[in-house]
Amino acid sequence: MKTIWQKIALAGVSLAALTAAASAGTVRVTVAEYSSKTGPYFAEAEKAFEAANPGIDIQFEVVPWDNLLQKLTTDIAGGSNADLSIIGTRWLVDFVQQGVAAPLDEYITPEFKGRFIDTFLTPSIMDGKTYGLPIAASARAMYYNKSLFEKAGVSEPPKTWAELTDTAKKISALGDGVYGFGLQGKEIETDVYFYYAMWSYGGEIVEADGTSGLDSQAAIDAAKLYKALIDEGATEPGVTSYNREDVQNLFKQGKIGMMMTAPFLSGQIKAEAPDLQYGVAPIPAGPNGDQGTYGVTDSIILFENSQNKAEAWKFLDFLFSTEWRVKFTVNEGFLPVQKEEAADPHFVNDADLKVFASLLPNARFAPVIAGWEEIAEKTSNALQSIYLGQGEVEATLKAAAAEANTVLGK
Amino acid sequence: MRRRNPLPYLLILPSFLLAAAVIIWPVYDLVQIASNDVNRFGQLRGFNDFANFTALFADPNFLAAVGRTALWTVAVVAGAILVSVPVALILNSDFYGRDIARVIVMLPWAVSLTMTAIVWRWALNGESGMLNSGLRALGLIDTNIQWLASASTAFPMEIAIGILVTIPFTTTIFLGGLSSIPGDLYEAASLEGASGWQQFREITLPLLRPFLNIAIVLNTIYVFNSFPIIWVMTQGGPANSTDILVTHLYKLGFRIGQLGQASAVSLVMFALLLFFTIVYVRLAMREERAHQGA
Amino acid sequence: MSKKLKRSIIAWLLLAPLVVLVFFPFAVMFITAIKPQTEVLSPHWWPHEPRWRNFIDMWAATNFGQALWNSVVVSTFATLGAIVISIPSAYAMSRFRFRGREAYRQFLLITQMLSPIVLVVGLFRVIASFGLIDNIGAVTFVYMAFNIAFTVWMLQSYFATVPKDLEEAAWIEGASRFQTLVKVFLPLVTPAIAVTAIFTFINAWNEFVIALTLLRRQESYTLPIQVFSLVAGRYTVEWHHVMAATFVATLPVAVLFAWLQRYLVRGLALGAVK
Repeated sequence: MKTIWQKIALAGVSLAALTAAASAGTVRVTVAEYSSKTGPYFAEAEKAFEAANPGIDIQFEVVPWDNLLQKLTTDIAGGSNADLSIIGTRWLVDFVQQGVAAPLDEYITPEFKGRFIDTFLTPSIMDGKTYGLPIAASARAMYYNKSLFEKAGVSEPPKTWAELTDTAKKISALGDGVYGFGLQGKEIETDVYFYYAMWSYGGEIVEADGTSGLDSQAAIDAAKLYKALIDEGATEPGVTSYNREDVQNLFKQGKIGMMMTAPFLSGQIKAEAPDLQYGVAPIPAGPNGDQGTYGVTDSIILFENSQNKAEAWKFLDFLFSTEWRVKFTVNEGFLPVQKEEAADPHFVNDADLKVFASLLPNARFAPVIAGWEEIAEKTSNALQSIYLGQGEVEATLKAAAAEANTVLGK
Repeated sequence: MRRRNPLPYLLILPSFLLAAAVIIWPVYDLVQIASNDVNRFGQLRGFNDFANFTALFADPNFLAAVGRTALWTVAVVAGAILVSVPVALILNSDFYGRDIARVIVMLPWAVSLTMTAIVWRWALNGESGMLNSGLRALGLIDTNIQWLASASTAFPMEIAIGILVTIPFTTTIFLGGLSSIPGDLYEAASLEGASGWQQFREITLPLLRPFLNIAIVLNTIYVFNSFPIIWVMTQGGPANSTDILVTHLYKLGFRIGQLGQASAVSLVMFALLLFFTIVYVRLAMREERAHQGA
Repeated sequence: MSKKLKRSIIAWLLLAPLVVLVFFPFAVMFITAIKPQTEVLSPHWWPHEPRWRNFIDMWAATNFGQALWNSVVVSTFATLGAIVISIPSAYAMSRFRFRGREAYRQFLLITQMLSPIVLVVGLFRVIASFGLIDNIGAVTFVYMAFNIAFTVWMLQSYFATVPKDLEEAAWIEGASRFQTLVKVFLPLVTPAIAVTAIFTFINAWNEFVIALTLLRRQESYTLPIQVFSLVAGRYTVEWHHVMAATFVATLPVAVLFAWLQRYLVRGLALGAVK
């Protein structure tokens, strides 16, 4: 009996050895699928790179974004992760603290570093070491429907939240299934949609002393503002059933006056609702003139346990050449992360993108804290009870802040 | 001493090895993770005095999810069985187009649960959903219903869809059971002047009982562990108000990265199901014996 | 005959609400699938002009053919394997009285109770340690193993309803146990096997979590994850393609139902033996 088991074990070992042998010179890359163009883009990049670098075999694993974190978790737990992977930069802390991500500094030349726009590279730097390269970046601005503005007799996009409230009410008053302000109340980034207002009122997600800013006056004011918009019918009804895509769909259908979202909506409108008259404007300012947009990057990281670090780096160097960057960014409707890339006519001549780029100096990124996803989850839950009218604003936010503080270790 | 016949053991051996292979190692792993301090990538950091379990039972969201899971399971299983028994009886009787009817009833099964849930979510959208637009066209409602905005409409909808997708499986089991009831039993009963209802109670139900038990036990297990419907439609929200144990577990494990607590939830779920099944099987067997005695 | 007609009308009337509910999602799928992209988001039911090309576009855009083939291969072999391995076990459990029979039945039931979502972490580690990630064969094997408990359970409860008279008659005529099994018993239980096979096939066809975790490259994706990857977390979803893909993905199973229908009906004849 023992011998049989030994044989099976041996077979398993030799099988594993076989796959290991096959993987010398092979670089496996896990990438997130941003749109239907992502897969073909990386397939093309693979072909071009392999033609130029015989001996290195690139293998892509294109993973739906919603399952990326789960897949990485199981991969790492099983010790069979790829060599390179795209991750949300906000997850990076966890990866670095657990020793999963490898620092890239030994490979990065000053020339390479100089290719990037600093704003986007900074979030991937931790304790002075660069752990990831920004591969996708976006910021948020306000889209508004020009035809609805005209019908409601409003000529300019609102500059403050007070003006926005006013405009939203006027547009909702048009009736016929048209609503002023599209408010996201479900799933990923429900919390971010709230931060737009919170930042404008001068609040912070994590305050200077390291505690949660959810119980600050700014947060309370912002939540009251959104709640008032809901109660007065200035938003679409049933906000807690609308995720980001749902609100964007309403916008494409011409059913809402204003919403905040990322540059990629422009591209979608061109394909799906070419007749829509819309404009892009900065996110309105708060009573003291504070403004803020959310900047978000995804990074590509190198795993510490990768056996082919040098080859992997070679591929990264290739991927971050201007030609391939421009192709990627145009395909997906992101913001350019490299200086030369940004100078490409595609971006220079795009009026919508100019607005986004102009907001970057005020862009805030997800705070670099372990357990960020948990705080985001708790914040979204608190907001949902406020939007539904199940929880009183101050008490709900205070409770959420207390929970967030536990996660923050305060 | 009679020598034991090895044949049946040889016959069940292959199935035993296979079933054990995919269960025992993962379960061992699960116990390990649940009783250790573990990082988000499943790397163990030492035994931690069941802190994962204590954290769990101190969490009001977990406790609420336990109650909601019970409601979800009972409602879906009971609903599916209440619908499936008459449907199976109809499909077992002889009528024109029966073959087509059977295929139609089975159809929801042909779509993966995830996709069914995606389609329903799409159809239940408040402003651009086809359900609202259909109901408006029929004049049944005049303002759009925001189906998924709060638990009061979302959860019943999820239960209804859960029932709908459980019907094909349940009906098939019952059809198999009904087909094993000989027709002459009914003929004899008819001759004795038994009404349809009496025939159902005296012949159909008792003979269907083992299949009813299979349906209840297996459906309870599947529905209890069913993930896609609730995950796709509401992700357990808004504000955790439609969370059941699996969705809670998924969030803990793969969103927040508390693999230890997630594994603990999994073991608690396992214990709950085990408890239910043992109690149910005991009761069912006692009843069966009582019937045979009568 | 008119009695049957009357019964038919009543039967269909009773089934009508269920039929409507069953067809509703299919109608949504189908109509969205033939809408032009600019009309997909409008809630009106019928498109201004049906766009049949969507199906062709979808086929190319979603790598549908490969995924379909993978699903067919995985489901078929998982089903065959599970059935072949289960028949002896189920036969043993319904025809022999042996010690541990009840315990084995309960063991099988217990194996069904673990939530696959977390089991998948442990399973993944095992498969990974054998270097079999992204291997369709490994997925087939796992499906087979996961379905064993269920198929044995189902088969043995159907087998138990088959009376022993015919087999015993065959023994008396001098047939061996194996001959009896093949010549007498198996033909009798074909409907039960068919029904159980449908269950298994569908479980494998629709399985999602395991495939998602174990498969890596688009070329090895099965249908559910291929379709799901069109929806999950992309910044924009091409709903007409998704719905077209879902719709087409259900067709093979629908055809299977229609075909195996006869076996379900023949299952009725089983009762006549008793």
